[in-house]
Amino acid sequence: MNLSYTEEQVMLREQIQKFCETEYDFYKREEVVKSDKDFDENAWSLFAEQGWLSMPFSEESGGFGFGPIELSILFEEFGKSLVIEPYLSNVVLAGSILDKSNFEGKVQLIEGICSGSSHLSLAYVEAAHSYEYLKPDTNVSEDNKLNGAKTLVLNGKNASKLIVSCVKNDEFLLVLIDTAAEGVSFNTFKTIDEKTCAEFSFENVSIEDKDIIASGDEAKNLLIETLNLATLCVSAEAVGCMISCYQKTVQYTKEREQFDQPISNFQVLQHRMVDMFIDSELAKSLLYKAMLEVDSDSEDKFKHVSALKAHVGKFGKLSAQNAIQLHGGMGVSEEMMIGHYLKKMVAIDAMFGNADFHLKAFSK
Amino acid sequence: MDINFSKEDLQFRDELREWLANDYPKHVKDKMDKGEHLTRQDMVDYHKALSAKGWMGYNWPVEYGGTGWSATQLYLFNKEFGLAGCPPLLAFGVSMVAPVIWTFGNEEQKKRFLPDILDFNTWWCQGYSEPGSGSDLASLKTKAVKEGDHYIVNGSKTWTTLAQNADWIFLLVRTESTGKKQEGISFLLVDMKTPGIEVKPIITIDGDHEVNSVFFTDVKVPVENLVGEEGKGWTYAKFLLAHERFGIAAVGASMRALNQLKEVVSELNNSDLDKKVAEMEIAISALEMTELRLLSDLENGGHPGAESSILKIKGTEIQQGLTELFVEAAGEYALMYPGAGGYGSNDKPSGPEHAAVSLERFLNFRKTSIYGGSNEIQKNIISKFVLGV
Repeated sequence: MNLSYTEEQVMLREQIQKFCETEYDFYKREEVVKSDKDFDENAWSLFAEQGWLSMPFSEESGGFGFGPIELSILFEEFGKSLVIEPYLSNVVLAGSILDKSNFEGKVQLIEGICSGSSHLSLAYVEAAHSYEYLKPDTNVSEDNKLNGAKTLVLNGKNASKLIVSCVKNDEFLLVLIDTAAEGVSFNTFKTIDEKTCAEFSFENVSIEDKDIIASGDEAKNLLIETLNLATLCVSAEAVGCMISCYQKTVQYTKEREQFDQPISNFQVLQHRMVDMFIDSELAKSLLYKAMLEVDSDSEDKFKHVSALKAHVGKFGKLSAQNAIQLHGGMGVSEEMMIGHYLKKMVAIDAMFGNADFHLKAFSK
Repeated sequence: MDINFSKEDLQFRDELREWLANDYPKHVKDKMDKGEHLTRQDMVDYHKALSAKGWMGYNWPVEYGGTGWSATQLYLFNKEFGLAGCPPLLAFGVSMVAPVIWTFGNEEQKKRFLPDILDFNTWWCQGYSEPGSGSDLASLKTKAVKEGDHYIVNGSKTWTTLAQNADWIFLLVRTESTGKKQEGISFLLVDMKTPGIEVKPIITIDGDHEVNSVFFTDVKVPVENLVGEEGKGWTYAKFLLAHERFGIAAVGASMRALNQLKEVVSELNNSDLDKKVAEMEIAISALEMTELRLLSDLENGGHPGAESSILKIKGTEIQQGLTELFVEAAGEYALMYPGAGGYGSNDKPSGPEHAAVSLERFLNFRKTSIYGGSNEIQKNIISKFVLGV
């Protein structure tokens, strides 16, 4: 048993930390958020140059073949800085589902993601089937026309292609469509954590057999595996947020003086910060377990992801709420970073099954 | 990263399991499995069985007859024994006073005391807390005045676990009342048969006689029973408390309780309770991984410090939480405690077997968040040494 990160993994973390600390401060992020841009193009190019966009892909697809541990490192660090760039939608959701598939054109599509030149999104959510991702109403007719609607398509506005979950004659399918194709329409909005998101409608969009990425059980397994990996990633992001919440709060209470002393002198605040610290450590422990098991052959491999997601869903929000409380009025000010962690925690809890959903999944 | 134990560690685990299957004294196992009280003799038999195997000195260096086990082996030992439902090992001799004796005691003291601890010929108890000194231990008042070749001890100790069974007690006493309160403390070893010692039971809310008050009236203790230097007792006391942390997370024991709880709850068809049990299972998994992370750090030459307070806080919260869920599962039968034989008897009231045991444990386990440095003290430690406030 050895639970230390390798030297290579430590270096990766340092590299990402350096970027986040020197080139991604909150005020720069705010400028982008308040502009008409969805994310920082320069940052995105830098991600590509550093090879971060190629990390999890197999070597055959032109990637580094990194696993869930490296992805967790990246997301933990992104969480601390509340990074808004569309990594999850491109690399984890669309990219890794393609990479694991037997789809013929996958290498070229993944190349586009790795170089940062094209965006792809996974359209897997339907308004009527919250958290039930294997029973879409979106369908392909006998004459190969796609009809239906998808919501919460992350980064959908920037995507040139979509991977859409749907059914044809009761068979589950993942199909690739062009967002510019006839019959595709969408409108966009922002998520609570400042990401761009789209709702798509499909009206008699023509599908050819070569557009089918996978079908039947293969398609279902691809989606389940990918969503579990994505759940792990956003949970790692939540762990990063929890660490930042307690660290920033400790820092603030040391500086903030009331009654002629730093408020960190007050035991009631100290103990609350200790609770925040402990919850972040426990979350980290569950992250270790989940990232070490998710790629294993164990029957329980997704159970540990559920345990992690249930924990961060509940305690992540608590941690962010405590951070706000201990920052006082500053905690609820839009211009301060600290309150934004709560929005991130709400977003993370809502995605891929909330705490209650994963608690049930865990106990099955 | 590799979450799997090495082949050697797994072999070691098999060896532990083999002992538990074949050599764990059967009369002790039967009582433990039924949740019955153990007698003094049961405890002696259990510890002597471990001595016979050579495992009594589980956390001792080989030099003094210990096992010399690695941190991982210690972890596995604690976990497997917890999973098997064994009684917790009495820490007072083997893992509290013994390390103080071999670290700060003289050769004569090592020869005189260590072998008997290893063979469980002497039962030790701990004379730390006093009626006026709990978490603020350094404020203790029990006084030892040197007269010729003896110390004359006067005062009282409290919450002394199983003092009624003990042969010896290690005492923190005040040998100097001026100056800083930490600096006038000394560490004495005292034979419980010495005239002037009186043990009075304190009955806890579960009806059990586990703890005592111990009174000292002009008790004569030979000066050769002083450990180390006079006035340095506080240093030794703190050193000892660091050793008390072993196994504090009680992961194995909590996993066993969880499995029993799941069996009980599976027949109740109560989805609210199911949810609480699932949360508990996740909490235990998080605790286990936290302990493994600290263990890995230790094995890689790290020095995890105040982080181990997390194990105390969460470990005891989980232990208590489990007893609370058993009480919930007992439903109306939670009213029926104690049984017809009264407190302290092994008579069970009518109703499901798990109910009576659960009430006793629920009440008894309130102690866990108080002893070994209360959970609030642990939070102070984390606050100071980890958060730096």
